[in-house]
Amino acid sequence: MIWQQVQSLAGSYPLALRGLGMTVVLSLISLVLGTLLGFGLGILRTGGNRLISAAIGAWVDLIRGTPFLVQIFLIFFILPELGIELDAFTAGIIALTNLAACFICEIVAAGIRSVPTGQVEAALASGLSRSQRMRQVVLPQAMRIVLPPLVGQYVLLIKDSSVVSAIGLTDLTRVGWLVVQRVPNGLLVFFLVGLGYFIVCYPLIMLARRLEQRMGAAHGEVQL
Amino acid sequence: MTKTGMIDFRGVNKWFGALNVLRDITLSVEPREVVVVCGPSGSGKSTLIRCINGLETIRDGDLVVDGQRLGDPATNMTRLRTEIGFVFQSFNLYPHKTALENVTLAPIHVRKIPRAEAEQAGRELLAKVGLADKVDAYPAQLSGGQQQRVAIARCLGMRPKIMLFDEPTSALDPEMISEVLDVMVAVAEEGMTMMVVTHEMGFARKVAQRVVFMDAGAIVESGTPDEFFSHPKTDRSRAFLSKILRH
Amino acid sequence: MLENFSFRTIVEYLPLFGQGLVTTVWLSLISFAGALAVGIVLSAMNLQRGWLFRVPAKAYIDAVRATPLLAQLYFLYFGLPRLGFVLPELVVGILALSLNSGAYVAEIIRAGILSIPRGQVEAGVASGMTYVQRMRLVILPQAFKVTIPPLLGQAIVLVKDSALLSLISVAELTRAGQLLASDRFMPAEGFITIAAFYLLLYYCLKGLAALSGRWLGLQPARSST
Repeated sequence: MIWQQVQSLAGSYPLALRGLGMTVVLSLISLVLGTLLGFGLGILRTGGNRLISAAIGAWVDLIRGTPFLVQIFLIFFILPELGIELDAFTAGIIALTNLAACFICEIVAAGIRSVPTGQVEAALASGLSRSQRMRQVVLPQAMRIVLPPLVGQYVLLIKDSSVVSAIGLTDLTRVGWLVVQRVPNGLLVFFLVGLGYFIVCYPLIMLARRLEQRMGAAHGEVQL
Repeated sequence: MTKTGMIDFRGVNKWFGALNVLRDITLSVEPREVVVVCGPSGSGKSTLIRCINGLETIRDGDLVVDGQRLGDPATNMTRLRTEIGFVFQSFNLYPHKTALENVTLAPIHVRKIPRAEAEQAGRELLAKVGLADKVDAYPAQLSGGQQQRVAIARCLGMRPKIMLFDEPTSALDPEMISEVLDVMVAVAEEGMTMMVVTHEMGFARKVAQRVVFMDAGAIVESGTPDEFFSHPKTDRSRAFLSKILRH
Repeated sequence: MLENFSFRTIVEYLPLFGQGLVTTVWLSLISFAGALAVGIVLSAMNLQRGWLFRVPAKAYIDAVRATPLLAQLYFLYFGLPRLGFVLPELVVGILALSLNSGAYVAEIIRAGILSIPRGQVEAGVASGMTYVQRMRLVILPQAFKVTIPPLLGQAIVLVKDSALLSLISVAELTRAGQLLASDRFMPAEGFITIAAFYLLLYYCLKGLAALSGRWLGLQPARSST
């Protein structure tokens, strides 16, 4: 009986590949978009304008305070009511990008705030413009703080992408759900699904740990 | 208009909340003049020079630097800052850049000097402050005195008209102070306009034309180093001098 | 546009939402208690010198952290019956949340213990304390303090994660929103209302985290995720 199930499972490997592909594509697109957006928001969050900063803070709180599943439902079912037609894939990308951007925004803002004010003053004193200060002085130093949690955030993003299966996208988790209807061995099926995620996520977790150790020991602060 | 110096304070006031940190400051610094500012901590001396390049803003009065009025919409603050070198107590070198990169960053990005040329000039400046062999070192690999010398070279790289020093030696171990002061003396002797917040009276005697003594946000006394050290006019300056000279 | 937004329907469904909210709260509480238990056991295993306990604990923590909660939930939901355990969905859900959050709690506890400066251990050794005494009298009381804010952060994550239980038909808050959305074709009413309820829980926990930070004399709490 197990042998039959294994054969049957082997038969669904094209489906599994498609699911893995979907998970990777979803994660990758929203990872890139979310990082760009998140850095932009993080820079604005720490910029001088209180109103913009407060607005971003409020939005980030809304996203951090609600389950991702609910966010997906909101986007997928309510945007069409507002006249914006979108398919499950687009809805998934929007939801994941927004989620990633909000968390990355806070990570970047924390990184920027960790740069000593003296650094900004030194850059000001030598006449660097706002964007030059950001690019040349603040961000490179903030990256030390930003990088480890950023990689950790990517792991969360990949895992959260499983939730889009709830609106019918055939990602890795959804494939498991489909296969288990045919091959009634949940342990085996979802062990394999988990293995798929593990192969993608585990190296990133290791990377985040390595970065954390390295950054802790890297070119220390200017000692007084 | 009266005659304008390189730096001109006219009735400048500044508050931090209810605290009047600068009171009616009127002070004119001539080109090529070296002015030492001293006074007890909290007297407003750091705030005074931080106003000059706009790290602090003033409430009222006029502050004219190199012919440009601060706070005037016509004054391009970023442009003006390139004419003013500022040396911090805590050096504030960029920890992610080498000594040479610290010196060349602003010349390349602000002055738009070609990289090769900027690096050539940067090496010469580092040699001038006695750090020819530390060109590729990161700040964390340098001693405090070496870091501060890199910071001075970083300012000189912009070919400023004015140099401001905010307690440049007070974060240093005693044995490193003289190497930094020597560099500052050399800069002064080349005719740089300088304002130096410091308690290093040896330095003041050697190169300063004027010593300004501040207390509680106001300029209490000002005169040549000889006058100030030998014949302080006020009780407060006498008390201050007896304290720092006893060290 | 949303001009038909019906507050009346929301009011009509309010008892259902109320039930869902209550269910979400108590199932989160039980799961969090479970997560603490799992986390304490795991971190105790993880701090052992011998590999016999440490390796399985590490493997478990890594496996949980590298896979999505939803896949873990389905693993238990579809897998347990196969092992002969036919459990109600609610129990499966609580189990999944406890086992999942437990791994993160273990990491929080471990970080808290490791954050205690070596000098503290050495002071304990110097005054002749045994390992157990050092742990009980010196390390744990200090570690306890620093773990409270991140633990509350994990509680926030857990409450939000509990929404996934709606996908195995547990009648919690999100499920209530889905019911309204599908019964009356009113997704806006359903999902906006539950989002508001989740925000309520979020701000309560966030406030608690900030308060606890102040009580314990720590920096403002930073919820990890």
